[in-house]
Amino acid sequence: MSGKSLERYFRSIQNSREKRPSGRLWCPAADVYRTDEGWIVKVDLAGIQPADIEVMIDGPVLRISGLRRDGICGEGVYHYQLEITYSRFEKMIQFPRSIEHASIDRDYRDGLLILRLKEEQEESHKGRARAAGRK
Amino acid sequence: MAEAEKTSDKETAPPASPKPEGVPFEIPVLPLTNITLFPETMVPLAVGRPASIAAVEAALSGEEKLLACVSVRPDQTSNGDARPAELFEVGTLVMIKRMERVEDTMHLIVQGSDRIRVLEWVQREPFLRARAQILPDLEVKNKEEVEAAKRNVQGLIQQALAYLPQVPPEVRMIVLSADDPVRLAYFLGSILSLGVEKEQQMLEANTVDELMHRAHDFLAREVEIIRLRSKIASEAQTEMDKAQRDYVLRQQMKAIQKELGEDETGELAEAAQLRERLAKADLPDDVRKEADRELSRMEKLPAMAPDYHVIRTYLDFILELPWKISSEDRLDLNEAQRVLDEDHYNIKDVKERILEFLAVIKLRPDAKSPILCFVGAPGVGKTSLGRSIARAMGRHFERLSLGGVRDEAELRGHRRTYVGAMPGRIIQSIRRATVNNPVMMLDEIDKLGADYRGDPAAALLEILDPEQNNTFTDHYLDLPFDLSKVFFIATANQLGPIPAPLRDRMEVIALAGYSDREKLQIARRYLVPRQVRENGLTPEQLEITDEAITLIATLYTREAGVRQLERTIGRLGRKVALRIAQGQTEKVVVDAGDIDDFLGAPRFFPEEARKELPAGVATGMAWTEMGGMILFVEASLLPGGSGLTITGQLGEVMQESARAARSYLWSHAEEFGISPDMFKSYGVHMHVPAGAIPKDGPSAGVTITAALASLFTGRRVRPDTAMTGEITLSGLVFPVGGIKEKVLAAHRAGIHRIILPARNEADLEDIPEDVRRELEIVPVTRINEVVDTALEKLVANPPPPLRVTESARDRPEQDSEPLIAKER
Repeated sequence: MSGKSLERYFRSIQNSREKRPSGRLWCPAADVYRTDEGWIVKVDLAGIQPADIEVMIDGPVLRISGLRRDGICGEGVYHYQLEITYSRFEKMIQFPRSIEHASIDRDYRDGLLILRLKEEQEESHKGRARAAGRK
Repeated sequence: MAEAEKTSDKETAPPASPKPEGVPFEIPVLPLTNITLFPETMVPLAVGRPASIAAVEAALSGEEKLLACVSVRPDQTSNGDARPAELFEVGTLVMIKRMERVEDTMHLIVQGSDRIRVLEWVQREPFLRARAQILPDLEVKNKEEVEAAKRNVQGLIQQALAYLPQVPPEVRMIVLSADDPVRLAYFLGSILSLGVEKEQQMLEANTVDELMHRAHDFLAREVEIIRLRSKIASEAQTEMDKAQRDYVLRQQMKAIQKELGEDETGELAEAAQLRERLAKADLPDDVRKEADRELSRMEKLPAMAPDYHVIRTYLDFILELPWKISSEDRLDLNEAQRVLDEDHYNIKDVKERILEFLAVIKLRPDAKSPILCFVGAPGVGKTSLGRSIARAMGRHFERLSLGGVRDEAELRGHRRTYVGAMPGRIIQSIRRATVNNPVMMLDEIDKLGADYRGDPAAALLEILDPEQNNTFTDHYLDLPFDLSKVFFIATANQLGPIPAPLRDRMEVIALAGYSDREKLQIARRYLVPRQVRENGLTPEQLEITDEAITLIATLYTREAGVRQLERTIGRLGRKVALRIAQGQTEKVVVDAGDIDDFLGAPRFFPEEARKELPAGVATGMAWTEMGGMILFVEASLLPGGSGLTITGQLGEVMQESARAARSYLWSHAEEFGISPDMFKSYGVHMHVPAGAIPKDGPSAGVTITAALASLFTGRRVRPDTAMTGEITLSGLVFPVGGIKEKVLAAHRAGIHRIILPARNEADLEDIPEDVRRELEIVPVTRINEVVDTALEKLVANPPPPLRVTESARDRPEQDSEPLIAKER
């Protein structure tokens, strides 16, 4: 009986409405650009107060976390449909090498969080060379 | 991992961002029945109860859309809204990611975030609201153990996937690549439908070790179930495949049959045909009833069924049997007589018996047929007599050899339940005869066997009893068939082996052997013309004189019948045919003198009467299957020996005769002029040549007596005298059988005097007149008459000396003269 449920699960796992493993938090979408100076990371984070966003670097990992609150709710307002995810989010971006020493320039506008990571000179050199090689 | 935001506003309804563990906060609670939500899983939910919708709406009105999901205890079966007491204490904090309303229900997708413990209930109406605190993250107690458990779980998942080939590869990837053990375990917990109890156990696990342990146990059980299910399914599949295959093959067979023109309409036609034949056939009522019943059974069966053909064959057989068909008897007695005479020489009593029967049939058409049994040596014409009886009566002739039949089923058939069952030979013969009143010859009835399968003679008892055989039931037929109109003739070489009850049912007619004179007649009338014809000659080309035939019969053959004689004549015919074909000659007349040229030296030298017999030798007569013969009983005294030594392959009965003869002579020694001491002083050896041929029977008693009397008295037995007869200890002579053959043999051997039991005189009528004229027949009733008649009066070889005392035995050669003188 329950064996059947497992089977059924495997069959329909592609359906997004079914149960599936997830993290504890939601995860916003992000683009990552390579530039001469370093990296540009663009995260889709609309409706968030900049104070609620926290950015951390740990070795080669960039971690963006925070909290989206729904400011519209209140007396006499009811949700009819919910598609925006609120509450805590977390986005981890893995870089090819450590970004520990990069400086971060933070810009939040039009619902997008844009982070510019400037690497130190010699490191960026290497990165460029590798990027050129890849092309 | 938790956010830095740490406000915990107890006044406002929506809780602030979740806290690190320990800090209590208020939160709306959604009771869940039958499922448990785990952290780190995304789950769709449908919410319909007003209280639940109110709880969800309360959650949605919060800034972070957080909700506590707590399962209802499974043993609490309240139908209404869940009460706090019915809920577990540990639940899951979830974040509502999606919500849409479909009519009155809300469809949610929630994502499990943290485990929470309910501390107290702060509100029950209109929805539950609790004060809860986040439980700490699970800690790892033993890293290796967790890793091992994780790998085991992954192994089990792989096993499960092996049984589920329909799972697409990308899904396998997702499942197998989940490397966080906690996430993996919670995920498994959410999908396995373990039941709330077990799911709650997993949720409440406080260490990773414990969680993994439980997840492994539960998963192992699930995998086992999947394995069994897949086994059962594959077995069912095999069954189905076989049925499918059979079906396809049958369809193909149908198609092939259709191509061959044997389709179902053919089956129907077959049944219809049988029905038509049944309607036309003239059957007794009970047979028709049974046949109709079987036919309707057959119509219900598919042509493929094995029973179909069994019934078909059975019905065919019923239709072929001559239930009411009889041939008309030829009732012209003169014509019948003519046919019998034409086919067979002499055998008057048999012919008379046939004519009597025909006369009865003429007067009373429904008379029962007699049951005859011809007994006689091979080649005396038993079988051909049967044929000519059929010819004389105008009936069909069926011959059925019983030689070696040892199974009752061969006569009476097998039951139809057996595979390959067949009707018995009797019924099969009737079918072959196509009439129900044939002459049926049961050949070699004395050669019937019997073993553990049954005794065919017992089956014959029914068949051969006119009172019973009108309802003879063959096992195969299973219907009574009237055999009472069948004219049964059994043949046998000997009556002995035929069981008494069977012998009792038949009218035994003995066909004795033929004398040389009869053989001559038979040869002239039947054998020579037939062999001339068979060898492509004409009667003008080959002529055999009577003397030549007699010579062949006596020196080239030894038999009671004429089979060997015919074969020898055939040989002669072939030699003549060769000469004529080679053009050496046009016509051959074979005379006695020419036989040597054609057939070589004579093969047989019949025991001739000896010209002179020493004392102690007597001529006896014996009966064999080949006819009669003479034999000699030889006896001699053994000085210093004792008792009676008997040699010559004598059977029990004959040995007893010898002892009786000696005892009789001993007890009546004085009467015959013998000293009783002779029996004590001398042993006797008796021998009957030829030593290699086994002999038995009581009829040599007289001969043995004569030989012993001759031995003890010294008077020789007359060499021209042969004798037969059984003796008793009181000196009587009893009658014996085979007189005709014996007398003919003695006559052939040149004997002139025959000593016979007086009560056998009647048998002499069978002996041809010309033979009887040349013989002196002496009928006797007592042994002393035998001795008087057989022995010469003169003492030719005086018996050896007698030793009177025990001491005399030690000196055997001494004092013989005075003793003899004394005896005389």
